[in-house]
Amino acid sequence: MDLIANNLLTILILLPTIGAIGAIAYQAVTRSDEHQKWIALFVTVLNFLISLVLFTRGVPAVGGFEFEQNVPWISAIHTNYHVGVDGLSFWLVLLTTFIMPLSVLCAWTAVEKKKTAFFAFLLLLESAMLGVFVTLDLLVFYLFFEASLVPMFFLIGVWGGKNRIYAAVKFFIFTAVGSLLMLVAIIALYYIYAGAVNGAGSFDFVEILAAMQSGKLILGPQVGMLLFLAFALSFAIKVPIFPVHTWLPDAHTEAPTAGSVILAAILLKMGTYGLMRFNFAFFPDQARETAWIFITLAVIGIIYGALVAMVQPDWKRLIAYTSVAHMGFVVLGMFSFTELGMQGAVYQMLNHGVSTGALFILVGFAYERRHTREISEYGGLANVMPNYAAIFIITTMSSIGLPFLNGFVGEFLIMVGMFKSTILNVTASANWNYVAAMAAGIGVILAAVYLLWLVQRVFFGKVTHAENKKLKDLNAREIGLMIPLLIAMVVMGVYPRPFLERTDSAIKSIEARVMRSAGGAVAKTELDTKALENR
Amino acid sequence: MSNFLLAQLTTPNADVTVILPEIVVAVAGIVVMLYDSFFPRQKAVSGAIAMLGVFVSALLLVLMWGDSFSGSAWSGMIAHDNLRLSFGLVFLMIAAMTILASTLWVNIEGVPTGEFHALLLFATFGMMMMAAGNDLVVIFLGLETSSIATYVMAGLRKGDLRSNESALKYFVLGSFASAFLLYGMALVYGATGTTNIPRIAASVDSANFPALLLIGSAMMIVGFGFKVALAPFHVWTPDVYEGAPAPITGFMAAGPKAAAFSSFVRVFVLGFPLVAGAQAAGILHETWISLLAVLGIITILFGNVAAILQNNIKRMLAYSSIAHAGYATVGFVGAGLAKTAAERNEAIAAVAFYLFVYAITNLGAFAIVSLLGQRNDRRADFEDYNGIGFKAPLLSFSLSVFMLSLLGMPLTAGFIGKVLVFRPALESGSVLLVTLVVVAVIGSAISAYYYLRLLVVMFFRERAVDWVPPKVPSTLTTAIAAAVIAVLYFGLFSNGLIRKFAGTTPKAAEVRAER
Repeated sequence: MDLIANNLLTILILLPTIGAIGAIAYQAVTRSDEHQKWIALFVTVLNFLISLVLFTRGVPAVGGFEFEQNVPWISAIHTNYHVGVDGLSFWLVLLTTFIMPLSVLCAWTAVEKKKTAFFAFLLLLESAMLGVFVTLDLLVFYLFFEASLVPMFFLIGVWGGKNRIYAAVKFFIFTAVGSLLMLVAIIALYYIYAGAVNGAGSFDFVEILAAMQSGKLILGPQVGMLLFLAFALSFAIKVPIFPVHTWLPDAHTEAPTAGSVILAAILLKMGTYGLMRFNFAFFPDQARETAWIFITLAVIGIIYGALVAMVQPDWKRLIAYTSVAHMGFVVLGMFSFTELGMQGAVYQMLNHGVSTGALFILVGFAYERRHTREISEYGGLANVMPNYAAIFIITTMSSIGLPFLNGFVGEFLIMVGMFKSTILNVTASANWNYVAAMAAGIGVILAAVYLLWLVQRVFFGKVTHAENKKLKDLNAREIGLMIPLLIAMVVMGVYPRPFLERTDSAIKSIEARVMRSAGGAVAKTELDTKALENR
Repeated sequence: MSNFLLAQLTTPNADVTVILPEIVVAVAGIVVMLYDSFFPRQKAVSGAIAMLGVFVSALLLVLMWGDSFSGSAWSGMIAHDNLRLSFGLVFLMIAAMTILASTLWVNIEGVPTGEFHALLLFATFGMMMMAAGNDLVVIFLGLETSSIATYVMAGLRKGDLRSNESALKYFVLGSFASAFLLYGMALVYGATGTTNIPRIAASVDSANFPALLLIGSAMMIVGFGFKVALAPFHVWTPDVYEGAPAPITGFMAAGPKAAAFSSFVRVFVLGFPLVAGAQAAGILHETWISLLAVLGIITILFGNVAAILQNNIKRMLAYSSIAHAGYATVGFVGAGLAKTAAERNEAIAAVAFYLFVYAITNLGAFAIVSLLGQRNDRRADFEDYNGIGFKAPLLSFSLSVFMLSLLGMPLTAGFIGKVLVFRPALESGSVLLVTLVVVAVIGSAISAYYYLRLLVVMFFRERAVDWVPPKVPSTLTTAIAAAVIAVLYFGLFSNGLIRKFAGTTPKAAEVRAER
C-alpha cells in the first residue's frame, strides 16, 4: 500500500500508457481487436480506484503539495520530474479518472473500425491529461500539455465525422501555436530565475514561485506582461476564451463521442487550470491589470456562446457552443479574484465536466441509433425512449443550473463572487463588477432558453419521423454508465461542502497572491474605500 | 621565428593517433574501392566493409572522449575538442544510416555499389576533417573532399535526367559557393596573417585592415550559408534534393549540412569571438551575430512557408531541411553570444545535438520515402501515401514518429533538440535573438501543417486503389527501427548524450540525485 501511495501519481500517469501498449501487444499476438475495450475498461477503472487513494491524505498546507515526487529528468538542463497534488488539482485528477471509464463505455459499440488504435489513443490521452494536472515542473508540464494533442488529433481525424480532417488539423494547429509561445516564456523564465538567484536556472514551479514570493525574483513590468501573455494565450486557446474559440465547435462536433466527452470534460480544463496555476501565481500584477480584458471576453463568450447555440440546427454543435458559454463562466469566476468566485470557478470546471460530458454521451446515444445530428430529424423521442428522455432532461437541468443540481452551485458562487469583486473599476455612476455579474446572469437565462428549446424540439410532441418510431430505449450498459454521472450531479448539487473544503486553502493562497501581492494590496484598499463611498 | 619554424620542421607535431578515426574512414573507402575492382558485384561485402570502417572509427572517437584534451594537434591544424568529437560521431551515424537505408535502392536500380560506398566514405572523411579542422585550409580541404564526393553521389542515377540535373546544379552552384568561401578565407588571412583559427581569434582586434576582415567574414557567411542552405542561399536545395535518389537526398540533407555547421560554428564562434574591450573585434562580432540572426529569421520563415506549398514529399522535406538549418542557427548565434566558455560549449553541444537528432530523424524518413517511392522515386507525392496508415502500421507509425520529431513534439528527440537550441539564444536576452526564437516557434507552428499533412493522408484518408505494403529488407528495417528507437529514446533519456557533447560532468550533488 505504501508503494502505491508513495508513487501514486506516477502510477496514475503510467498505468494507462502500459494499458495502451498492452492493447497493441494483444492485437499483435492474437490478431483480434475484439477485447481491447475490456483492457481499456479494466485499466481506466483500475486507475480510478487507485486515484481514490488521494483521499487518504488530508488537504496540504498552503503552498504545499501531497504525494510529491521529485527526481531529476534531464539534469543537464535542470529539469525534474516533479509531481504533486494540491487543492487545485485534486478534483481535476479525480474528474479525469472518473470520466475515462465512462468514455470507454460510451465507445463500446460506437467504434467499429480500428478498435485497438482507438482504445490505445484513449489510454495515452489519459496519461497525458493526468500528467498535465499533477506536474510541477514547467518543461514537463509543457511536455504533457503538448503530448495530449497527438492522441486527440488522431481520435478526431480517424474516427470523427464528415469534416474530421479539417477539424483535427485546426484543433492541432490552434493549440500548438499558443503553446509554442509558452515554451519560449518557460525557457525565458528559466534564465530570469538563474539571473535572480545568481546560479543555475530552474523549471520548478515551487522554486520559481518561492523566489518570486521572497522578492528575490522581480519581473519588470514589460517582461512580466510579455511572459503573462505568452502563458495566457496558450491557455486561452485551450479554454477556449472568445475570440480564439473557433476550433472548439469543429473539434467537438466532428470528434467521436468519446473524444467529445474527453475534450469537453477534461481537455478544456487544462486551460483554466493552467491560468490559475501558472498565470495567477507567477504574474499576479499582470493578472490584475488584464482582468478587465478577460472578464469582458468571458462575458462576451457567455452571451455569444449562448446566442450561437440557440440557432444551431446541429444537436452536437449546439452542445459544443454551450461549452463556450460555460467555460466563460469559469473564466469570469477566476478573474473576479474573490475567494467565492474562484471556488465557484473550480467547482464549475467539475460541473461542466460532468454535465457537458453527460450531454455529449447522450447525444452520442442518439447518433448511434439514427446516424444524424440534425435536430429537425428528431422529435417526440420521449414517447419512444422514455428513459433516455428522463436522463437527458435531468442532465439538461444540471447544465442550466437548477438548484439542487451541481450547475447551480457553481454559477451561484461565480456570480456572488463577481458581485463582491473589486477588480473592475468602481465609479460614482456604475460598479462594473455588478455589470459583469448581471451580464453573466443573462447568460444563465439564455442557457435555459436554448437547452429547454432543444429538449422541446427533440423529445416532446409527436414523433415526426417514421424512422424514430422504432428506436430502442437505452440498454443496461448505457443506463449503467449514466448513473455515476447522475449521482455526481445530485451529490455535487446538494452537498458541495467536501468539494469546496478540498480546494479552499489552494484558492485562498492564489487569491492572496493576486490581491495582496506588492501592487495588489494598494490597489485593493483603494478600491475598497471607493466601493464603500459609493454605498 | 626561424627557430620556431625549424623546430616545427625537425620534430613535426604529427601525432597520427589524433586523426586515427578519420584515417580509418579514408582507408575503409580505399579498401572498398580496391575490393570492388577485384571482386565486382559483391554488394553485401562492400557494404559490410564500409560499415566496419564506420563502426571502428566511431569506436575510436568514443574512446578518445576520455582523453584530457590537448586542445589541438598537428601544429594546431587539427582541433581536438568536444566540437570535433561530437560532430564526428554525428557524421559516422549519418554514414551508417545511409549505408543501411540505401541497400534496397542499390539493389533495384543496379547502382555501382563499390563506387557508391567508397564515395560515401570519402564524403564522410571530408566531413570529419571539416569538424576537426582548426585551420581554414584544413576546413576548406575537408569541405571540397566531401563536396566533390557528394556531387557525384547526387548523379549516381545516371539514366535519370532529374538526377543529372541535380548533380550538375549542385556542382555548379557548390563550386561557386566554395569560391566565395575561399576568397573570404584569403581575405581573413590577409587581415590577420594567419589561417589558424585560435590565432585569428587572438589577432582579430589588431587586424591590419579591419574592413578586410569584415568583407572576408561576410564572404565566408555566403559560402557556409550556401552549404547549410540558409536563405537566401538556399535556392539550389529543392531541385537538388528532389532529383537525387532518396537515400542520397537523406544523406545530403543531414551530412554535408551538419559538417558545414561544424566548421561554420568553429570559424565564427571560436574564430571571431567577442573580446572584452576590443573595438574592432566588437564590431566584427556584432556584425556577424546580427547578420546570422537575420538570415536565420528569413530562413525559418521562408523554409516553412515554402514547405507548405509542396505536393512532393521529397521536396517538402527539402524545404523543411532549410527551416531546420534556421533552427540550428538559433543555437549557433546563441553560442556566439555566450558569456563564459562553459556556456559556449553547452550551446555548441546543443547545435550538435540538434543536428544529430535532425539527421537521424531525417534519414529515417528518407529511408521510408525511398522504400515507398519504388524505382526512381516515382511514388513520392502526398497522394501516394493516401490511406496506407492502417495497411502498413509499423512503417506509418515510424514515419509519424519522424514527422512529430521534426515538428518538435514532446516525447520525441526533436523536442529536446529545439529546447536545447532555443536556450542559449534566450539566455543572452538580446532583443534580436528573442525575436529569432519567437520566429522559430512561429515557424514550428507553421510546420505543424505540412508535417501533420503526411499523418493526415496516411491515417485519415482512404485509399482508392489497391496497395500492397512493400517487403522491407532487413537492412532497411534495422535503419528505420534504429532511428525510431533513437528518436524516442533521446526524447526521454537525453541527459547522457547532452553531457557528453557538452563535456560537462555532473556536479557531485547531481550525481547523487541521479542515483
